[in-house]
Amino acid sequence: MITAVRRFRLQLTPQRLFAALFLLVLGYLVVVPLGVMLQETFTVHPLERFQIPGAMTGDFTTAHWERTFVGPHSYAFFYRPLINTLIIALSLSLLALVIGGGLAWLVVRTNLPFKGLISNAAIIPYVMPSWTLALAWLTLFKNQRIGGQPGIFQAVTGIATPDWFAYGLFPITITLALHYFPFGFMLIGGAIRNIDAQLEESAELLGASRATILRRVVFPLVLPAIFSTFLLTFSKGLGTFGTPAFLGGPVREFVLSTSLYANLIGQRPGIGYIAAVVMIAMGVLVLYMDHRIIGARRSFVTISGKGARAGLVDLGRWRTPLAVLVLGFLFSVIAVPIGALAVDTVMLRPGIYNLQNFSLHYWIGEASLAIGLGTGEPGILRNSQLMGALGNTMRLAVVVALVCGVLGMLIGYTVVRLRGTLVSRLLDQLSFLPYLMPSIALGSIFLALFAIARGPIPSLYGTFWLLVIACTVSYLPYAVKAGVNAMMQIGPELEEAAIMSGASWFTRMRRVLFPLQKATYFSGMLLPFISVTRELSLLILLVTPANQLATTITLRYTDRGWYPYTNGMVLMLVIIVITSTIVSRRLMKTDLAKGLGG
Amino acid sequence: MPAIVLRQVTKRFAGGPPAVRDLDLTIPDASFTTLLGPSGCGKTTTLRMIAGLELPTDGEIDIGERNVFSLAQGRSLAPAKRGLGLVFQSYALWPHLSVRQNIAFGLEVQKVNRAETKRRVEAVAESLQIDAYLERYTSELSGGQQQRVAIARVLVMRPDVLLLDEPLSNLDAKLRMDMRAELKRLHAETGATVIYVTHDQLEALTMSTHIALMRDGVLQQFAPPLELYAQPANRFAADFLGNPRINLLEGVVEAGAIVSHGLRVQVGGDGVLAARPGERLTIGLRAEELRLEREGGSGRAAVRILSVLPTGADWYYRVGLGDAVLTVRDDRHPDLREGEQVWLVAAPNPLKVFDEAGRSRTALSGRDAPAAAAQAPGPAPIERRESEREEARA
Ligand SMILES: Nc1ncnc2c1ncn2[C@@H]1O[C@H](COP(=O)(O)OP(=O)(O)OP(=O)(O)O)[C@@H](O)[C@H]1O
Ligand SMILES: [Mg+2]
Repeated sequence: MITAVRRFRLQLTPQRLFAALFLLVLGYLVVVPLGVMLQETFTVHPLERFQIPGAMTGDFTTAHWERTFVGPHSYAFFYRPLINTLIIALSLSLLALVIGGGLAWLVVRTNLPFKGLISNAAIIPYVMPSWTLALAWLTLFKNQRIGGQPGIFQAVTGIATPDWFAYGLFPITITLALHYFPFGFMLIGGAIRNIDAQLEESAELLGASRATILRRVVFPLVLPAIFSTFLLTFSKGLGTFGTPAFLGGPVREFVLSTSLYANLIGQRPGIGYIAAVVMIAMGVLVLYMDHRIIGARRSFVTISGKGARAGLVDLGRWRTPLAVLVLGFLFSVIAVPIGALAVDTVMLRPGIYNLQNFSLHYWIGEASLAIGLGTGEPGILRNSQLMGALGNTMRLAVVVALVCGVLGMLIGYTVVRLRGTLVSRLLDQLSFLPYLMPSIALGSIFLALFAIARGPIPSLYGTFWLLVIACTVSYLPYAVKAGVNAMMQIGPELEEAAIMSGASWFTRMRRVLFPLQKATYFSGMLLPFISVTRELSLLILLVTPANQLATTITLRYTDRGWYPYTNGMVLMLVIIVITSTIVSRRLMKTDLAKGLGG
Repeated sequence: MPAIVLRQVTKRFAGGPPAVRDLDLTIPDASFTTLLGPSGCGKTTTLRMIAGLELPTDGEIDIGERNVFSLAQGRSLAPAKRGLGLVFQSYALWPHLSVRQNIAFGLEVQKVNRAETKRRVEAVAESLQIDAYLERYTSELSGGQQQRVAIARVLVMRPDVLLLDEPLSNLDAKLRMDMRAELKRLHAETGATVIYVTHDQLEALTMSTHIALMRDGVLQQFAPPLELYAQPANRFAADFLGNPRINLLEGVVEAGAIVSHGLRVQVGGDGVLAARPGERLTIGLRAEELRLEREGGSGRAAVRILSVLPTGADWYYRVGLGDAVLTVRDDRHPDLREGEQVWLVAAPNPLKVFDEAGRSRTALSGRDAPAAAAQAPGPAPIERRESEREEARA
């Protein structure tokens, strides 16, 4: 017994202490919420008292489940949104895969010109908020019948766009695919780049044709990346909120996330929580498939990477037309939407696009009930509410990036140093769990968890720190992935050599481990930074009027039809994320693909 | 400089046989001691336990007068406080620092002042002939130069004990020769106790003052190199050292000799061997202890020459004796051809005889060595009682 205690004391290394600490904290932040959420689906909430005869607030009930799955309105509440969600997720993933994969092949394996420009530009749609394209779509294509005012297209051509084109599933799928294709570009591009040319050359020596090589050698090697991309975009498609809210809202076409939101803030929180549970279950299913399909194959992607690069395919006559096509495509998914949003903010009276209508009123004008939309709001740049929200967003982004960076590094350290132990696996999987939870569901979990004080933990609802915690947990998978990858690159002897020199744990971190993998750690911080800046779905349930963020406040302006304000704010966010991506890439050699951990 | 004492040190990793088992070892002060053994026998683990990077599952370790690890007392001194330096097999140089920064790191951590740091770094760099590369990054150095930087980084701290884990395994043959000489020079100059890990028996024989031979986590024999070579404590030790491998011949005791296929080796009848007539024993005969003659005679056995292998300085013959194949070395040119029949003479010096459990009957030291049947791999059964061990030591 005494020796056991002594041995335990001898074994108290930093990594073991961290492991205990993180297991505790993550357990509370990740596992407990799941339980709380399940419990909420069986609880009568205040507003639901009147819908369930004889029930008291807080009672146990199965009514939510019954109403969701078999009630008279279950089709509208649940099945239709579910079907919509699946249609969107499936078609958007396929589309994103085709665009991203095709672009990756062109850039990595052909003699396409302007590769540098193309590969830089192809990432931009992903760093922009996902609903930028949705807003731009509305600005361009909305019709007068539903949108109130005509979009640019109708104003210029006089042709009213049909509803199915302007709103609902079709534009949601297109705009999301245009937002997520960079995943495919980065992951598949990386996989193609890593194929050892010798593998192809040996096939060539055996007399295989180009087509056979592509089919029998290249494709199987890239297959894991293709699956990864598909599942990643699919799970993103399941959980996304902003785009369906903007494009589906006007025609009351719901997906699970928007239905969850409507129920949760409306009168049926129980049903909202069930939607969240269903979304998480689907996320787990996706991960399980990922594990089953790719788990075994993934290993051989990483073996390669040393050999020579294969020769480039000569595009011949198609070289110039393809380049024009690709550049035109990128232009229309980057510059056109941004331009459309920008134009919209300087047109005084909505729906009229000419020079006489030009005005900076929505940027710098005084509050007025008479000019333009007559909102009674000052222009964006002098609007203390909007600027305050933007400031709040920046503060949150910086704090979360730092917290995630440090946590990612420490958890990565712990996981790698204790590799092979149960604790390490547990920690790795716990920190990955939030990845499965659609962000709106995660938001609802945190709402449930922190709305009231539980034991020693106070109610954090309405505080900045709740936002920090929610964002940190949500982006932890990326941060930990970066941290683990970074640590795997560093052999343990490099740290042990420093131990032998008498360096304390902190010195080892500061002088050896961190400098060795700076770029990876910074990449692990960039992603949370960008994500916070454009985060909507996670935080929409958690913000209060006192701590609005740039994204959540724009939603309120959209609700009132004040699009110039919304578009102006989005424009500023887009500029911020693109600038920070480029600057950090220059200064700190960050690489977003690393953060994604393909 | 300190002696290092390991008492009953055991290391068990999760899910596996013990990597090191009940290790009792006293490494003499200022010695150049080599931990030798086949891959996976626990050499690195032992070294890392001495360094403090690995926590023993049981036992005690003293360095000099100080106890640095004791499970019973719950003590484990931090690696840096043990006054030793470790050179890693992979060198473990920090790629983001220059050579100078690599060497200076430890001094900076210990808050040695700048002027002193600079002086010591340059002195050690000069003694290892790397002063020309101080400002380079380690990736810009050759393997041999990196090796020197790794040693310099350790020596600059003036350790009392120098631990080296297969430091030469990444170098080419020529550089390896040079570095062996260099390491011997450093040992002599610094007076540090050196513990050197290798699985290369030639390296161990040429460099060490003492060799600790290990197998499957168990110490087989601890002795100076020549004693280990001449008087292996068991069949495993006999087989592991020497190139070409020792010839192990099974024979039967007959009137003061061991006889195998007509070959008689005189063992003197009584005394040390305590061999009973009719007992089966194994005799170890190194290639240089065998001789080929054209004429037969008493004690000689007829053999057929299977192949002739000249090396330039010597001739090696593979000969068939019954169903055994033996290697014979000759430094003259006896002009023998393949297929010829000749006579084999054995003149072992000293005599190496092993019982059926593989223990030596003849070695002066290491009589307490674990039994080791050379043909049967896997952990040898060890059943030693404390009293036995005390006896052997006395
Ligand atoms: N961290 C570890 N976890 C589990 N088992 C280990 C660990 N380190 C070593 N072992 C096991 O302990 C045994 C001894 O390993 P060790 O590294 O000490 O061998 P070695 O004699 O240095 O071999 P080599 O000559 O190959 O370096 C091996 O069976 C090895 O697999
Ligand atoms: Mg080793």
